[in-house]
Amino acid sequence: MRTFFKEHQRSGRPGMSRQAGTAALAAALVLSGLAGVTYAGTEQTEEPSTSAPSGKKVVLRVCNWEEYIDLGEWGEDEVIDLESGDIFGENSMVQDFEDWYYETYGIEVNVEYSTFGTNEDLYNMLTLGDVYDLVCPSEYMFMKLMAEKQLVPLSDAFKDSSDPYNYYTNGVSPYIRKVFENHEINGEKWSDYAAGYMWGVTGIVYNPEALTHEEASTWKVLGDPKYDRQVTIKDNVRDSYFAAVGALKSDMLLSEEFRSQADYPVRLEEEMNDVSPETIQEVQDYLQDVKDNVYSFETDSGKADMITGKVLANYQWSGDAVYTMDQAEEDDYYLNFAIPEESTNIYFDGWVMLRSGVEGNADKQHAAEAFINFCSRPDNAVRNMYYIGYTSVIAGGDDSRIFEYADWTYGAEEDEEEVVDYPLGYFFSEDPENEDYTLTVPAEQLIRQLGAQYPSEEAISRSSIMVFFDGEKNDTINQMWINVRCFNILDVPVWIWVITVLALAALLYVYLSARHRQKLYLGSSK
Amino acid sequence: MRVLKFSRKSLGIPYAVFLVLFVALPLLVLLYYAFTNGQGQFTVSNFAGFFTDPNTLGTLCYSLAVAFVTTLVCLLLAYPAAYFLATSHMKRKQVLILLFIMPMWINFSLRITALKELLTLFEGNLARYPFMNAVIGMSYDFLPFMILPIYNTLSRLDISLIEAAKDLGANDVSAFLKVTLPLSVPGIVSGVSMVFLPAMTNYVVLDMLYNSTYIMGSLIGSYFSAYNWHGGSMIALILLAIIIAFTLLTRGMEDDNQRTVGGALL
Repeated sequence: MRTFFKEHQRSGRPGMSRQAGTAALAAALVLSGLAGVTYAGTEQTEEPSTSAPSGKKVVLRVCNWEEYIDLGEWGEDEVIDLESGDIFGENSMVQDFEDWYYETYGIEVNVEYSTFGTNEDLYNMLTLGDVYDLVCPSEYMFMKLMAEKQLVPLSDAFKDSSDPYNYYTNGVSPYIRKVFENHEINGEKWSDYAAGYMWGVTGIVYNPEALTHEEASTWKVLGDPKYDRQVTIKDNVRDSYFAAVGALKSDMLLSEEFRSQADYPVRLEEEMNDVSPETIQEVQDYLQDVKDNVYSFETDSGKADMITGKVLANYQWSGDAVYTMDQAEEDDYYLNFAIPEESTNIYFDGWVMLRSGVEGNADKQHAAEAFINFCSRPDNAVRNMYYIGYTSVIAGGDDSRIFEYADWTYGAEEDEEEVVDYPLGYFFSEDPENEDYTLTVPAEQLIRQLGAQYPSEEAISRSSIMVFFDGEKNDTINQMWINVRCFNILDVPVWIWVITVLALAALLYVYLSARHRQKLYLGSSK
Repeated sequence: MRVLKFSRKSLGIPYAVFLVLFVALPLLVLLYYAFTNGQGQFTVSNFAGFFTDPNTLGTLCYSLAVAFVTTLVCLLLAYPAAYFLATSHMKRKQVLILLFIMPMWINFSLRITALKELLTLFEGNLARYPFMNAVIGMSYDFLPFMILPIYNTLSRLDISLIEAAKDLGANDVSAFLKVTLPLSVPGIVSGVSMVFLPAMTNYVVLDMLYNSTYIMGSLIGSYFSAYNWHGGSMIALILLAIIIAFTLLTRGMEDDNQRTVGGALL
């Protein structure tokens, strides 16, 4: 879903993931009874071979977002020539991992790699009995899985920074580490169960010839009649809800009074996660207006519509925004990215191990954690970033290649006229003031790809994590979404009712009189 | 003889197994989910909710409206075309028919994507005409399903009946209205049922042409993605009921005509 990336170009896959997913789910639902039986069967035959102590071969079942990992086979001109050496994706990341694991630990591992389209699809797949060892949902979904006690905690060995192969622990950005340690659900920290993979923010990609940066830097742009049918919004309830709350509370969120409070970050997160009945009702009313103002509710098509100029602005996840701007530039068409002033939804996709697959199997857990580490090795993080366009949570630690890659991608050329300093100390080191991690970039990059891939510290300071809503609240929000998208029968004007009734009556009359005549005819012929 | 009889019967076994596994069992699962709540207790509240909520009820009406208008448009386009095809004396008639069927050989999403660009060219901004686009997209997609059955009935029509009507003094118009049209009703009915029912649920067309309003199919999808199997199954069952009602109603009409014409089609 978030992941319609460079791969899209290469494989030319048609953008129908949601429909296909739903159809598959529908089919899966009706067969769920049978599926349970089948899975029980395969489990039993597989387990003895994987847990056998000698000559063992581990099977690792990984499920990740579609097109969210390097599949290799780069063109020869795609070498990333950093100062610390070239980085090149020859084979797929999965295959490289299998080779590396055997060379490093002497154990054969066979990765069964599959993909999902949305967090909800993944959850449904798990509910229907699919078994995976390692999956990569977004933060709200792994929080839900944590709350439901479906996960195995990361081992102490994984967190041991003295092991040189613990690339995650040694390389994760201090900023991300803090986020994962400071957020918890039911008293358990994210970091106990989840290791980050990619992260990003939400914002607005816009055409600078039609909108100023200021005009695009608010969620209100989606409901602004000035852009009647020329903006797109995301076709899912969480993203739309967030934007609506941002727009509705805009004045309050932007007020000096609110921003200068001591506990501003906490208060902001509370406001953006407000699911009181009154707010839900207001959001519903607002989104109903937005529905008549936007070009489309989209999952994939927004990028193409933005590039072809059908719309002037669209709601994007930062990784997709980078892709959109890259693609447009190939046609010499320049787009910008704005992070709304009210707040931006910051998201983290993280690896978690499932109890249904891993629990009680130390070999599997070791392989799963090694897989996370392998993806976190700086050169591999660069490969994934290059391939999919999203931002890795890895900063590299002592290894400078991640920062070099940012510089390689965005750093100003010598002859550049307007350059600015772009401090990224907050991400790459403990210290936001650290000048070692300041890029010198063309000024325009602040509101282009760089601003989307590595948002400024200022943008991060007004970001909110959207938590997951459970039980009744979740039902209310989903019902709200259905109400927004459905056609309300009370909106039908009286004259349409009159015409419909008259038309039905006329049809009935024609039908009955035809039957009547036929009967007469048949009767007389007999 | 006995052996032969046995083996003929056993030819049906593969299909019977298929029927049980992929039709009967899923239907039972559907029934179970539609009539239970989250705790697995029996309830009819899913249905009660559907028929009292103006939004879901509106979706039903909207789907019916889209399907009705689509069917009407298809019928108005298809009947003259089928009539022309059936009555023309062209030597290469088969080629013409092929031209009508050919769109069906091209991938559906490709066709709708092309249509999207074409409509953008004519309309400027697609999103301003959501209902019309839905109807155009669906008609484009389903038109062959309307043309073929009507063509089949018309081409099998006994010309002597029309000649007889004319001998008895009917002009072209009344011969058409009193003979040709009534005799082609079975074709129309079968065309209508092949267009009307899919048009109620095919939300992919609406999605791809940027109609943001849900129809019945999209409602099922949205219940499922919210982990609500019960709501989704309930909608599916309501659709099933509509389909059964529709089939019973039109079967009656076809039967009446079979008695007089003595031949149905497809």
